[in-house]
Amino acid sequence: MIAAALPSLSPGVLLAAAVTSAAASLWLLLPRGSENTAARWLGMLLGAAALAGFIATGRRLGSLGEDAVFLTVSLVAVISGAATIVTRSPVYAAIWFAMALTGVAGVLLVLGAQFLGVATIVVYAGAILVMFLFVLMLAQPSGLAPYDRVSSEPLLSAVAGAVLLGLLTLSIGRLSAEPAACCAVPSRTAAVTEDPLRSTPLATDPMAAIDPLADDQIARLGSELFGRHLLSVEVAGLLLLVALIGAVAVVSRGEAALEADRGSLTERTGG
Amino acid sequence: MMVSSCPISPLLAAGSMPLLHNALIVGAILFALGLVGILTRRNLIVMFLSAELMLQGISVSLVAWSRYHGDWGGQVLVIFVLTVAACEAAVALVFVLQAFARTGRLDAAAWQSLRDESLARTVDRELPASDATPASWPRLSPAGVLPTGGGEDDQQRQHI
Amino acid sequence: MQSISPTSLLVLVPLLPLVGAILTIILGRVLGSRAHLPAIAGIAAAAAAAVTLLLATAGQVGGTSGGHTEPVRPVEMISTLWQWASVDAAYTPPAGSPAAIPGTAVGGQGDARAFSIPVALRLDPLTATMLTIITCVGLLVAIYSVGYMHDDPGYPRFFALVSLFVFSMAMLVAASNFLIVYVFWEAVGACSYLLIGFWFRKPEAARAAKKAFLVNRIGDFGLAIATFLLWMTYGTLDFHDTLSADGTILPGILGQTRLADVSGIVGGTVGTAICLLLLLAACGKSAQLPLHVWLPDAMEGPTPASALIHAATMVTAGIYLITRASPLFVACPGALTMVSIVGATTALVAALIATVQNDLKRVLAYSTISQLGYMFASLGTGTMLGFTAAIFHLVTHAFFKALLFLGAGSVMHAMGGVIDMRRFGGLRRIMPITAATFLIGGLALAGVAPFAGFFSKDEILATIHAKAWPNAHETHHEVAPAGGHAAASQSPFLPVSHRRTTAIGADSGGTTLDALDRPAIWQTLYWMALLTAGLTAFYTFRAIFMTFTGPTRVPDEAGHHAHESPPVMTLPLILLAVPSALAGWWLFSTNWLAHFLSATPSLAAPAVARTAVPHAFHVDLAIQGTLAAAIGIVIAAIGHLGRRSDSPQMERLLGPLQTLFANKFYFDQIYSGLIVKPLEAVAMLAALIDRHLIDGLVNAVALIPVGLGGIVRRMQSGLVQRYALAGVMGVLMIVLALAWQLRG
Repeated sequence: MIAAALPSLSPGVLLAAAVTSAAASLWLLLPRGSENTAARWLGMLLGAAALAGFIATGRRLGSLGEDAVFLTVSLVAVISGAATIVTRSPVYAAIWFAMALTGVAGVLLVLGAQFLGVATIVVYAGAILVMFLFVLMLAQPSGLAPYDRVSSEPLLSAVAGAVLLGLLTLSIGRLSAEPAACCAVPSRTAAVTEDPLRSTPLATDPMAAIDPLADDQIARLGSELFGRHLLSVEVAGLLLLVALIGAVAVVSRGEAALEADRGSLTERTGG
Repeated sequence: MMVSSCPISPLLAAGSMPLLHNALIVGAILFALGLVGILTRRNLIVMFLSAELMLQGISVSLVAWSRYHGDWGGQVLVIFVLTVAACEAAVALVFVLQAFARTGRLDAAAWQSLRDESLARTVDRELPASDATPASWPRLSPAGVLPTGGGEDDQQRQHI
Repeated sequence: MQSISPTSLLVLVPLLPLVGAILTIILGRVLGSRAHLPAIAGIAAAAAAAVTLLLATAGQVGGTSGGHTEPVRPVEMISTLWQWASVDAAYTPPAGSPAAIPGTAVGGQGDARAFSIPVALRLDPLTATMLTIITCVGLLVAIYSVGYMHDDPGYPRFFALVSLFVFSMAMLVAASNFLIVYVFWEAVGACSYLLIGFWFRKPEAARAAKKAFLVNRIGDFGLAIATFLLWMTYGTLDFHDTLSADGTILPGILGQTRLADVSGIVGGTVGTAICLLLLLAACGKSAQLPLHVWLPDAMEGPTPASALIHAATMVTAGIYLITRASPLFVACPGALTMVSIVGATTALVAALIATVQNDLKRVLAYSTISQLGYMFASLGTGTMLGFTAAIFHLVTHAFFKALLFLGAGSVMHAMGGVIDMRRFGGLRRIMPITAATFLIGGLALAGVAPFAGFFSKDEILATIHAKAWPNAHETHHEVAPAGGHAAASQSPFLPVSHRRTTAIGADSGGTTLDALDRPAIWQTLYWMALLTAGLTAFYTFRAIFMTFTGPTRVPDEAGHHAHESPPVMTLPLILLAVPSALAGWWLFSTNWLAHFLSATPSLAAPAVARTAVPHAFHVDLAIQGTLAAAIGIVIAAIGHLGRRSDSPQMERLLGPLQTLFANKFYFDQIYSGLIVKPLEAVAMLAALIDRHLIDGLVNAVALIPVGLGGIVRRMQSGLVQRYALAGVMGVLMIVLALAWQLRG
């Protein structure tokens, strides 16, 4: 869309500009000691410019409605994600993260992964994020701790992240420009037609296809999961159990160790 | 292709490259943001949040590919990513709390004992006093009758 | 010994002392006080072999014709042991040069000569004579050392070294290749170093050993350069002719093929350069001016070592070399004259220094230098008589000088290590055998008839006289005592002027040095030689009188040692006294040695052989020589005989000259100032550069990792996020590189 409005800029220059402004914006926005409102505003402006540039590298979907929907949810995700990492208070960061999760859930829905979209909200925002908040409650000092107000190597990190982003965008662009060269859609008939865990061959199994509008979408996901990936599911369950036991074990052992060197705690400056 | 036999909207058909392209870009942006967060923020919790953000980006990319290829594998993998992220968060937060118990703060830079023995500890430069004034919450004027405090009854109920 | 062939005997002569040395080194500790046995056994067997070879060679040469001047057929036997080095087609000599293979086309393909060094031993009269001297004197010295070195902690080491030395010297005189000669030239230098510094814990001895080695090194440098020039000029380093694979004879430098043709030897600039370099080498080894400074200091070594090396054998290597290379020298008259000038000057200077020495061994050391100077002066005349007289004097000198040194050792042994003549006297009453043999040796040295030195010195004076007054010489021919014909008019002796204008060699231009070959120079040399003869007698008898006559005084260090030496020491003295007394008379009268030596290929060459004169006894020269000796003895007697034996009579007469002589003409001081100090400065500079610049550079290079590490170390801060950042940047760089490769 915007690329059409900027016909004079070649994609490479556009990308470079987007990357540069992204790096600058991140650097300006990251906490660097003193509160500087002007820097923050400038950073936000540059961030918006970078976003515009990246949007310009995007492709048009079928219709305006689809474009709008996708743009909305992805903007929510991205802007919330940016806010997560630049905001000073960790509690705010957690809240912004929840927002980002919402955006990501929207993107997943657009991509046709309904179960995952909801699962993201439920598991991440509902469980993991709450756990983070609990820890913050237990451990966060009131007000802003000094380590929340500074960043570790903001410039280099921003540049690194921006360069990485530029590389990824470049290769994604090349990928979509010549799909046949690198990512032809595989024909499932040419692939494995016999799957030992299925009663019917894949080639004729109607459940094997992704169909976002089908009613039994989740059933298909479930049959795939517990069909082909049964072993992995069991192992994942085992992993959950192990994590639970491990967490409890570390806590109990850690407390004993803590009691042991309670006397020398004053000497430890944390190094 | 297999899916042509199913009644699907052509716009949402598998093999839609523009969708893939856009979704991958979104995933890449989220991943990069998360990476910058991990590298930059000193608060352990914010670091983990950034890690989760990276995982979100990964999930988006995987699902995009899954959609493109019409293959469930990507989504299955995302489920497992979710599972592992949950386990990881649990165990990691235990460690964060242990670290807090030892050092009294949630600072990633509090742990420097693996540095070269000829180097001194890196300490932050002096920051000006925090100018984030504590938010002044509105004070309500007291209304009604102040309860008469005191007495054990107010402390504990014998019955509901 | 018909069962053992001469070839085997020739190999045995150096081999047996080598085996003896190795056995002594291995078994020395075990044998303890019997450590001399392998060495003496080896040298004795070698001596027997050498004598056998001498007799065999004498048989080959045939009987002496008592004065016949017809050329003798050369006798030589070559025995090649193995090929040490061989490089095919190493050098293509210019066409027509002496190095070219005879019979090959000019510039043809077959012209390239191979570089081949065979380990070849030769047997000819000169070698046989030298081998006999080396092994016999070596044997007597070894027997003497059994007594002299009796209580020394380094007893086995001494015998190993003496044995090793005999091996090296034998190989030197038996080698038939210049490179092999060089190898053993160095080897005897090394043995000399080890023997001079035998008592290495004594600083003077260590210094003296170093000095000897370094001064010898200068001579060795001359020999090396001469070897290079010889190779380039002649295309080979062999003395003898060799047969190439296709049957052509490759002439050696001193091979009979080359020597038969007078033009086969190169003269002119190149030839003179070669000869002067060989002279330099000989000066180094034989302690001639200006490289004589090491020999007096070499007296720090044990006396038997001095007797063997610095009297009889090693110092004669220079004489041997020049005699062996006589055809080369004869082709360059200028170089020959230089040899004589060096020799005569050395003889005179050394004799002057010897007159004021108070150390008995020093007197003998300077005497050695002086007598070697005589031999050089004789060699430099370039006539058959000159060469044979030099060898004759070498033989007699070996005997009486070894005798004198061993006698001095006996005195030193009895006096508890004191050798300063002013501190003892009248020892003839305590040590009669030593005194008697020392007297015989002294008479021989002084040139008193009929002892050995008289005849050899007479011949030397004769040959110099012949060069100085060439025309008068022909009327001086007298009847030889053993009967020969005085064919004076048939003398093929060529006057000097005639020889100078003969075109010799490919490079036939004369050099400016040839201008030295004038009768006036030779006359000066003659008078110098005569004066030296008188001085020789003087200092010899001064030493004898101071030591053995007068009231008997014994220094305190002697203790209970002050008695005659044990038989193991006096026996060699007696055995040496016999030839010192009789050898000269016998060899001269039969003219056996001269006749024998004339069969050496080098001396049988027409260039040398045509200078032969009939054997004669020159009465007038004998009278001059004896007169000089007598004057010397008388002055010595006036100064030091009897009751005056301890008084510095003559020294007071010399006045300031005494200081000059006593300080050895300040040679050491001059060298120290001109050479040693600047070299020390350079060495100091080099040490500074090495320590600060080079070591500094290396240390600086070593500091680079330290510096880099210091920089890199700061990256290890312990901060996890920085580590992660570094990892991410690394990955990015890799991905960027890959993307760059895959673009387009």
